Amino acid sequence: MRQERKADFLATLAQRRRTLAKGWYKYSRNPLSVLGLVLLVLIVLAAGLAPHITPYPAQAGAYTDFKNAGKAPSAAHFFGTDRIGRDVFTRVIFGYRFSLLLGIVVLGLGVAPGVILGLLAGYHRGTWIETVIMRVTDVFLAVPPLVLALAITAMLTPNLLNEMFAIALLWWPWYCRLVFAVSSTLRNQFFVREAELAGASEGHILFREMLPNCLAPILTKMTLDMGIVILLGASLSFIGLGAQPPTPCLGTMVADGAKRLPGEWWSTIFPALAIVIVILAFNLVGDGLRDVFAVEEV
Amino acid sequence: MALLEVKDLRVGYRIFEGTLNVLNHAQLKIDEGERVGLVGETGCGKTTTVKTILRVLPIPPAQVQGGEILYRGEDVLRMSSRAARELRRREITAIFQDPLQALNPMFTVGTQLRDILKESKAGRDGGRLTRREIERRCIAALQETGMPDPERIMTNYPSQLSGGMRQRICIAEALSREARLLLADEPTTNLDVTIQDQILRKLDELVDEKGTSVLMITHSMGVVRDLTQRLYIMYAGAMVETGKTKELLARPRHPYTQGLMKSVPRLTGEGISEGIPGRIPNYLEPPSGCRFHPRCEHVMPVCKEAIPSFYAVDEDHFAACYLFRS
Amino acid sequence: MAKYIGLRLVQSVFVLFGLSILIFSIARVVPGDPARAMLGYLATQDQLQAVRVEMHLDKSFPVQYYYWLRDLFHGNLGRSAYTKRPVVTDLVQYVPATLELILFATVISLVIGQVMGILAGYFRNSWFDGVSRLVSYLGIATPSFVIAILLLFFFSQILHLAPSVGRIPIMTQAPPTRTGFMVIDSLLAGQFSTALVALTHLVLPAFSLAMIHIAQEGRITRSSIVENLSKDYITMHKVHGIRTSRLVFKYLLRPSIIPTVTVIGLDFAFLMSNAFLVELVFMWPGFARYALTTMLNKDLNAMVAVVLVIGLTFAVVNLLVDIVITFLDPTIRIQRRGG
Repeated sequence: MRQERKADFLATLAQRRRTLAKGWYKYSRNPLSVLGLVLLVLIVLAAGLAPHITPYPAQAGAYTDFKNAGKAPSAAHFFGTDRIGRDVFTRVIFGYRFSLLLGIVVLGLGVAPGVILGLLAGYHRGTWIETVIMRVTDVFLAVPPLVLALAITAMLTPNLLNEMFAIALLWWPWYCRLVFAVSSTLRNQFFVREAELAGASEGHILFREMLPNCLAPILTKMTLDMGIVILLGASLSFIGLGAQPPTPCLGTMVADGAKRLPGEWWSTIFPALAIVIVILAFNLVGDGLRDVFAVEEV
Repeated sequence: MALLEVKDLRVGYRIFEGTLNVLNHAQLKIDEGERVGLVGETGCGKTTTVKTILRVLPIPPAQVQGGEILYRGEDVLRMSSRAARELRRREITAIFQDPLQALNPMFTVGTQLRDILKESKAGRDGGRLTRREIERRCIAALQETGMPDPERIMTNYPSQLSGGMRQRICIAEALSREARLLLADEPTTNLDVTIQDQILRKLDELVDEKGTSVLMITHSMGVVRDLTQRLYIMYAGAMVETGKTKELLARPRHPYTQGLMKSVPRLTGEGISEGIPGRIPNYLEPPSGCRFHPRCEHVMPVCKEAIPSFYAVDEDHFAACYLFRS
Repeated sequence: MAKYIGLRLVQSVFVLFGLSILIFSIARVVPGDPARAMLGYLATQDQLQAVRVEMHLDKSFPVQYYYWLRDLFHGNLGRSAYTKRPVVTDLVQYVPATLELILFATVISLVIGQVMGILAGYFRNSWFDGVSRLVSYLGIATPSFVIAILLLFFFSQILHLAPSVGRIPIMTQAPPTRTGFMVIDSLLAGQFSTALVALTHLVLPAFSLAMIHIAQEGRITRSSIVENLSKDYITMHKVHGIRTSRLVFKYLLRPSIIPTVTVIGLDFAFLMSNAFLVELVFMWPGFARYALTTMLNKDLNAMVAVVLVIGLTFAVVNLLVDIVITFLDPTIRIQRRGG
């Protein structure tokens, strides 16, 4: 008995490995997707190892050095220094930390509820459950996310935690709608009906039968969403509603530096480029994932 | 001078794994007023031939590797694209297999029919046609194909019409311009069996009336027997046998044609045949010489060397096979 | 058809009600005293209490909502704590400026984006296609405020080609307000040079807004064109000798822009929200900047009104997009009639 289960387990493992290998082969066919992945890995590594690889880790926090303020890019300061003397390069790398943290927290908090509600709404298509869930979703989606995020964040004290909470609060509807679209078509497929006839519990049907079929679009959207959330976060901190100084936030850095244009262009341009690169990386990876999953459907 | 002469045509499609060498020295001849049939299995290159003649091959993946297509003496392949378009507008026309996809779903039948006539210089003194004249001709073309209530059809969208009606519209589109040559690529294959006959008869009638030359492509022996005077049999990108239809069907000489005839189930019970052994070739790496040689029971060493040309087997009956080299 | 529009309108009204409740709740949850925000630090307790009664802050939430709703139907959106004027007056002043900007941006994005998409699709894999793909990727990855700042930096500060602030130069006399559109009002008043200068002021901010749409919608059009090029009916048009310009701009274009039009509606939401950032960078005196200020100042009445206006605009635009699609794609019309 135990031997059978072990054989089964190994077989499933082998199959999963094959699927992964096939997926990677398809993914790697597009050089842009690979580039995106490389960029992403570099960024994540840099952010993770920030204190160890940046030249002036102390300058990421509260630090002033007016003697060195406003210096152009040089060997000592790759991206120059900002108006109170902090090394821009260091702060950009640390800024990546917060951007990635924002993305992870928002998606971590927002995706799960959205997916669950979407599954429920799709499974109970045509009943009051679906109506209630989808109407509430409609309300949240009636205005652009930035506007709602602004409203909520502005109402609370502006800091990183509230920013994350606010964006997470309005992120779940997108997933609810996405999963609803898929699950409402799945609902009437034969394998769901069979499970119902066999007496499976609703939890089983939702999570074991329908959810696996939704994973592909969910994963793709999550990857692309990282870019969008980071963009949103940067926009909020540009306005001044995100993490407050001295926390190094890419959007705040752009806003601060913009006041010094055209003179000390480096304190704006480099953080701005950093934002573009991280969003680009997530977009490329997300597109690559979409291609991998899309071909699969044939 | 023949109306259409295809000589030594070689066409390939570039795909990821290599090049699909589809047309392999294909050749054809159609005289003025003739009805010629082209018979072959799916995938043997019939549609590619037609598209090459019309110069509507999608050229990035496709490439013309060699040969000539002479329409009334002029090489179609070497014409400018403007001249080729003139040719399509006035001289050569076509009907394809799938009427469901052949009409633009976003425009009414009338719009599409009228636009075809708008640019034809078929008016008096070779000028433009007036609006009234265009309208009249559109209605007439639809009526000719046996459509009831043509005025209403003109205002319909393709998705509101059945397959049979759509094919009639395609026929109307094709014949509205009084072209000299019609290339009909399996026009009834995708239609309901009950309508196939009707449409073919109508097509036959119209072509007869206008004196149009026809290249009728099909994989049905019955259709060729009824509608064509001469016949080409095609296999794997080349024509392997040609002759007068009745004669060829009665006495097929090329090993492939013979196999084909045997495969056609007959009601006069010899049972179901075994078909021809082997499979159609892989166009990425086709067999050398005569592409049928791996499946042929009469294969000889010379068959692998070079593709055979047409050798006479009878009066006005030719087969591309070394068996008949005298 | 009319039934469908009616249904959609009713749906939108419900959604807007839900939205108003949502934003009302958020506004009332806020820490801090709205009365004090309205009157400032020097107000006395009596004054504060008077305002509180006036704003019904002493009543329960549903009652407050009822009063607000009643006022809404009388065209009264309350008084802005920040500008001290009726919110409606503020809206009337600021909305046209943003509208002008958004419309200009939409025109730019359609002209440049669609043409780019069509050409990239028709001549796919050419150098033009490659360049436009690059532009698309970068355009989608760049936040609008970054584009705004970059444009400001290059064209205004370095090259001095375009102005950087406001709708018209500070010293210039503004024309009398008829439509609220600076360019049109100037033309109506005969101030042609002002109209021209107003246009130059529009260029940079409108382009910052348009960039992401050029990138995204252009790409969708491109892949749509590529997909439709291989359709049988396009080959048939060629077979029948239809001239290339008619083929591309009539028969190929119509099926290809449908996915794009669908997206334009959704993208409008982004257009409006990006306006917040762009108006900030260029100090454009528009509705979005007003909205931003009200939110940063916890100006409750204005905030609620602002969110509703945005929600309403979005709903209207979506409805319009749906109607346009129905006109463009007859198969949907037929489906609706039959189904």
